[in-house]
Amino acid sequence: MALRIHFENVVQRYRVIRERPDSLREAFTKIFRGNSGTHDFEALRGISFDVEDGEVLGLIGRNGSGKSTALKLIAGVFEPTSGKAEVSGKVAPMIELGAGFHIDLTGRENIVINGLMLGLTRKEVMAREQSIIEFAGLGEFIDSPVKQYSSGMFMRLAFSIATETDPDILLIDEILAVGDAEFQEKCDARIQDFRHRGKTIVFVSHSPILVRRICDRAILLDHGKILADGRPEQVIEMYENLIHQPA
Amino acid sequence: MWTLLREIHTNRELIWALALKELRVRYKRSALGFIWALLNPLMMMVILTIVFSTITRIAVDYYPVFLISALLPWTFFSQALSYSVESIVINAELLKKIRVAKSIFPLAALIANVINFLLSLAPLLLILAVLRFPFHWTWIYLPVPLLSLFLFTAGCAFFFAAANVFFRDVSHILQIVLTAWFYLSPVLYSPDFLSPKYKLLFRFNPMMYILNGFRMAIYYGQLPTKENITASLLVGIVTFLAGYSVFRRLERSFVFYV
Repeated sequence: MALRIHFENVVQRYRVIRERPDSLREAFTKIFRGNSGTHDFEALRGISFDVEDGEVLGLIGRNGSGKSTALKLIAGVFEPTSGKAEVSGKVAPMIELGAGFHIDLTGRENIVINGLMLGLTRKEVMAREQSIIEFAGLGEFIDSPVKQYSSGMFMRLAFSIATETDPDILLIDEILAVGDAEFQEKCDARIQDFRHRGKTIVFVSHSPILVRRICDRAILLDHGKILADGRPEQVIEMYENLIHQPA
Repeated sequence: MWTLLREIHTNRELIWALALKELRVRYKRSALGFIWALLNPLMMMVILTIVFSTITRIAVDYYPVFLISALLPWTFFSQALSYSVESIVINAELLKKIRVAKSIFPLAALIANVINFLLSLAPLLLILAVLRFPFHWTWIYLPVPLLSLFLFTAGCAFFFAAANVFFRDVSHILQIVLTAWFYLSPVLYSPDFLSPKYKLLFRFNPMMYILNGFRMAIYYGQLPTKENITASLLVGIVTFLAGYSVFRRLERSFVFYV
């Protein structure tokens, strides 16, 4: 079993700027007031975990618990403030609906750009184009600009591209909830297929039902720390106790 | 520097696809499509020729050729900057979600404008043919000002694209600067028309050396002086290295500010 993700004491600190000087005017007024208006916020406060080949990991937790930050670190969008966040293999991030789709371009044109963005060559994209289109099941809409798509169609295309790129690690952020029952079944089947082929999936969700259905391991995050790491049923139970607790 | 070459190499197909996308979006849903790339400089030239040779009576033979030989490179410079300054900010959603080399965005904007620029050479040839203006052998010198122009533009593009991430005013300021810069550059006129004390000021305008190269080769049919050639290449290389190193230094924090 190869190690895919290795987090060791990962701390992610954001400089939260109450009023970030987005413009020169604000920057100047700030200088004159002599108040920087920033404070540090620790989204992750020293978390460690390992994920191996073939694991389907669910990250759960309340809003602001650090789930998305962890996912972005795995995606390599930024590096941790301190600690180690090592990832090996090709990552296909599906963080939010169709990031990187250009709304004026057609579905077909977006397949090319998105595929290249995820690290395929043009040849590889072309070889997969037909199966991407088939799996997304968009019919003639594939040649319409994606701004005319419903959110479900958007998601279907994004999911289809990301999974067809054959990544070692698939990151899914809460988007599976958009599709209809039929597409959900297709997604489930594909995720099972991924698992059987020994791929790694990290899945972020608020929904205990989805985590229970898909994952074979879950991590509960709260205020940037790991509260629990183990079998989904037990971790979900802790999560449910947590949200029913008065804050 | 090696990092940049490596990034360009690994992402060459992506950069190309993004550049074509940029053009496709620019001309999409317009009836004339790509013809606008040709029509635009042609119309600009017609307007400016009418204004400057008829109304203000600048006495220059073949004014349209005089004008367009510097107007085309200038238009490339100003359009390429206007596109690339926004290139990082526009792709914010992407940067926050996918690990991708940041340099591909200004590069794609540049390449889209290089294509546009090459298309706009067609009207130049048309005008030369229509006016029966001679083709000078000095055209073979054009790769030198072209290289300077592309390097200078790329350096500026990297710098402004990075600066705009931290201060969104940059893109607005840039538009004003470009307008002023246009009138202060020898596009509509030649510094020779001005009194010597103003001429000195032009020495500080890096675009002068580049534009001069184009105009000398196309319009005057002469080679620029050695100093001029050196200056234009130097301006290109130095600006490129400076702009690019600023971009490199800042790119890690883009994701937190876009």
